[in-house]
Amino acid sequence: MATRALLAVVTASPPRMIQIKASTFSSSLKFQRHITTLARSFSSDTNPSVLQPPDVSRLAETARISLTPSEVLRNVELRFVKSLTAIVFVVLVGKCRFGQLQQVDVSSVEPAIRAEMEGGNLREDAPETFENRESIRASIPSFDEVYLKVPKVLNKE
Amino acid sequence: MLSTLQPPRSLTLLPFRRFHGSKTIASLASSSPTLDASSVSPPQSQILTTRRSLLSGETTASEIAKSYLSRIRLTEPQLKCFLHVSENVLKEAQEIDQRISRGEGVGPLAGVVIGVKDNICTEGMPSTAASRILEHYRPPFDATAVKKIKEMGGIVVGKTNMDEFGMGSTTEASAFQVTANPWDLTRVPGGSSGGSAAAVAANQCMVSLGSDTGGSVRQPASFCGVVGLKPTYGRVSRFGLMAYASSLDVIGCFGSTVADAGMLLHAVSGYDRFDSTSSKQDVPEFESQSLSMDSFESKPLKGVRVGLIRETLEEGVDSGVRSATQEAASHLEALGCLVTEVSLPSFSLGLPAYYVIASSESSSNLSRYDGVRYGNQVMADELNKLYECSRGQGFGGEVKMRILMGTYALSAGYYDAYYKRAQQVRTLIRKDFKAALDHNDILISPAAPSAAYKIGEKKDDPLAMYAGDIMTVNVNLAGLPAIVLPCGLVEGGPSGLPVGLQMIGAAFDEETLLKVGHIFEQTLKGSGFVPPTLPNVA
Repeated sequence: MATRALLAVVTASPPRMIQIKASTFSSSLKFQRHITTLARSFSSDTNPSVLQPPDVSRLAETARISLTPSEVLRNVELRFVKSLTAIVFVVLVGKCRFGQLQQVDVSSVEPAIRAEMEGGNLREDAPETFENRESIRASIPSFDEVYLKVPKVLNKE
Repeated sequence: MLSTLQPPRSLTLLPFRRFHGSKTIASLASSSPTLDASSVSPPQSQILTTRRSLLSGETTASEIAKSYLSRIRLTEPQLKCFLHVSENVLKEAQEIDQRISRGEGVGPLAGVVIGVKDNICTEGMPSTAASRILEHYRPPFDATAVKKIKEMGGIVVGKTNMDEFGMGSTTEASAFQVTANPWDLTRVPGGSSGGSAAAVAANQCMVSLGSDTGGSVRQPASFCGVVGLKPTYGRVSRFGLMAYASSLDVIGCFGSTVADAGMLLHAVSGYDRFDSTSSKQDVPEFESQSLSMDSFESKPLKGVRVGLIRETLEEGVDSGVRSATQEAASHLEALGCLVTEVSLPSFSLGLPAYYVIASSESSSNLSRYDGVRYGNQVMADELNKLYECSRGQGFGGEVKMRILMGTYALSAGYYDAYYKRAQQVRTLIRKDFKAALDHNDILISPAAPSAAYKIGEKKDDPLAMYAGDIMTVNVNLAGLPAIVLPCGLVEGGPSGLPVGLQMIGAAFDEETLLKVGHIFEQTLKGSGFVPPTLPNVA
């Protein structure tokens, strides 16, 4: 099945829809560069941050996940860049495999946190003792009665 | 009125007027998964069969358990549905037999052999979410759904394989093994609850629990030819379900019949104080929907309004799936339904909105896996390094990708553009569904654009895999209940490949889905959806 990705860049002015075939790019890096070029061409002073393609190493640092330069993980990085850029930049005003092109005006739409919102499911702010503490302790990787051992924290300067 | 779990009822109190035809448990002792291959009668509820046979003394829970364990032993090398098989199965079965022989009451699920997806916590039994970061982890508690099953006498036979943390549609993203589709061992069973679906299809267990965030119960049900039931968000407590996307996750049920899926759902439903999103809505007696065929009039679904979602039959859907869906619509018409086409204009927005919401919420939910309090730890000389290495080495590629996507979508400056916008799209999708369901009792669509594809076919093309979720994600965004049941076969594999029909209902209206589904299933011509006998299994 051919995969197609539509670029919608959210800017102050009405977005221009461009249809590209992800499969026409021989490598994910080319795909990312193409999107970066397009993003730059729509650059607006009001919202420059929206148009930045993802900085993978910074994101990995924020998420506390190490991505080493080994072969396997290079694939992750490339696949990530390809998928993320395609999916996230496609977001919300895009053409998927089904359905026609649509411009969606969400300016007067309330965001829905989840589907059904029944209120008032709060409990008393009173602690309860969990019986099976032994089982919890058994799962702790580095345990030194009564402490969970972790290495020191180094502040980055 | 608080909806509470019905107290377990003893077998002696249960009427048997509804059971149609007889099938002895002795036939389960054969190693073949084709339980009723030659029968023309409609599929029978395994839960009701078990109940009747245990009470009448025709068989014992131990005999049943032994036959299932033996079939698991024989078929697992080829199927790989289970990550862990319980060591307590025979002990639990014996306890049930002892209670029966002492004339004591046993619960309505007594002796029922149940598989549980590995992202649902089972006390003392490994629960890994198919991830290396939780390899060997044994939770100190049971999920509420598991606790309820046990209280009713159900036997958890093992933990089933899945895509890591629920992220995937094939089980290929499991850190440990890939499950094979019992209909064709070279094809995927679907995902992320692939193990649970395949285990029921192969008769390794009678029913099973899965989870559904974007279609993870419904799509594998379609691929494996079994019934998959996704309840309304809030119907079943999520306590003990390892969270992927908290606003979308639900625990769902697999069975070989609609009646079984409905009875399992009834068992696990209800308000739970440990889940603040669980609903206090009444839990109807789903079981009474399993009417016997004799009570059907000629048009038992007369007046039921069915909306076929137009956007699900457009370009990109396999012709075999399209015709199976259209035949299913005709079958519903023959039963008396009024079938019309409906349009959901926001339909195509569901996929990108889903991936933004799911990856954002998962990036937050998976931050707890840091190697400190549980799971695999990679020691380092500095705390951040410990986090990074434990997570970097413990998580698989797909999980890392989604966490990073979510981190990106939630970063400062992007929140409004992505996450908030996706939430606004969710409102639009809810409105469209509500409007359609104001004029229809149920909506129908295929469960997936194709039947099961080959293992490895989509692994390197994540976009193509994501696109396969198009039929199912909107239902999670709207929080509605849906059931998938097999409706036809398409070409492929040794005996064809099953295709499922998805029926979507209004919020908390599982009753209508089960009623329509049950009648559809019981009146569908054919010899039932039973996969071919596995090679090398007698």
